[in-house]
Amino acid sequence: MGAERVREQQGSMQSPVNWALLGLVIERPSYAYKLAQRFDRTYEGALSLSSTSHVYTALRALLDRELIEEVPGSGTGRQPKPCYRATGQGLEHYQRWLVSQLPEERRRQRLFAVELAALMSEPELARTVIDGYEQECLREAGQSTLAGEAYANDAPSALASRLASEENRLALGARLAWVQYVRAELRKIAERKPAGR
Amino acid sequence: MSLLALEGVRKSYTGLSRERVVLAETTLEIEPGELVVVWGLKGSGRSTLLRIAAGIEAPDSGTVRFEGRDLRQHGEELLGGGVGFCERTFRCAEGQGVLDQVMVGLLARGVSPRQARTRAQGALERVGAEDYAAQRLGALEASESVRVAIARTLALEPALLVIDEPTRGADLLERDGILALLRSLAGEGIAVLASTAESTGLAGADRALVLNEGELRGAPPPALATVLELRRPAGWRATG
Repeated sequence: MGAERVREQQGSMQSPVNWALLGLVIERPSYAYKLAQRFDRTYEGALSLSSTSHVYTALRALLDRELIEEVPGSGTGRQPKPCYRATGQGLEHYQRWLVSQLPEERRRQRLFAVELAALMSEPELARTVIDGYEQECLREAGQSTLAGEAYANDAPSALASRLASEENRLALGARLAWVQYVRAELRKIAERKPAGR
Repeated sequence: MSLLALEGVRKSYTGLSRERVVLAETTLEIEPGELVVVWGLKGSGRSTLLRIAAGIEAPDSGTVRFEGRDLRQHGEELLGGGVGFCERTFRCAEGQGVLDQVMVGLLARGVSPRQARTRAQGALERVGAEDYAAQRLGALEASESVRVAIARTLALEPALLVIDEPTRGADLLERDGILALLRSLAGEGIAVLASTAESTGLAGADRALVLNEGELRGAPPPALATVLELRRPAGWRATG
């Protein structure tokens, strides 16, 4: 069965674990066991492997799609462990996948807005929710890591921490500004609402 | 007793057509060693709040107390001593050199030139700006000039440092250095009240607050924190 056929049958790769693992292989070719260790270290708190064997399932999926390939490892045992590295196609797909995350973020934010709008008949209740949301944004913004405090080196993991922190800090600003807009809308609705309701 | 306490502070400006309330019944308490940062959109009244907190501007009503003393009565003696308002601009008449600028407040308070020089150098060192001591003001980058401005305020050994938009105009990669400096000053026991128009400027704060349409919101001081109470609409009943 050709690889193209396999990809067609399997559809687009949805598993965030598979994409995260591909990212690690792109960063540095590794053995499966080492990849599992790096996965736990790098994505701690954000993604997790269900078990160590999960990494083998994910590697198989990446191999089937020709996003990675096996290269001879440096081991000297009877059965040398394979090392995995990214293919050109793997790099290309990884880039496309990263960019495609943006609509997913928009979808989440839209979902929250729709859920909040369901409370608009009760502006006071919606305001309580938005108060809590705002406090959570402020708490998270205050707790953001300062680039100068730690991770001030050029290691990929340190850079990743700085990039993630900056993205989060900017996103929190957009949310705080959005909260002010929601408040203005809620106030307008409350003013229009007939007395006694 | 809090180091700084604003109680029921109100401030409004009258425009051509209507009165604009910038601060409505604002209450804020700051403890020694606490870093409090206020975020707000443009025109939200952040700068007004800071000027009132520093005793530079008087509120329409309400009180501002520093160490229990009303700033309306004691503002002049406290400003520059207990309360340090960090001006980001420099007056050329006070000298073109960085060291001159940091010394000027000390000299104005009767400190001898020799002592003023030593204290100014110490303050520049504290903010990581000792290398600029011999430079002219015009040669400074935005973030360097903020450090010098902070040094000028620190030289007067304030218990509270008030600074409006410390990271405005700073290079993106220099910004966190300034925030880390404020964080470390708080770590040494100096209370810091800062404002920011960018959410990135909230990082490292003990308390991040938002000012919008006269209302100051955010987490209360830890001792006063309570669980947010969720309200139910009238007539609401759980089903099932």
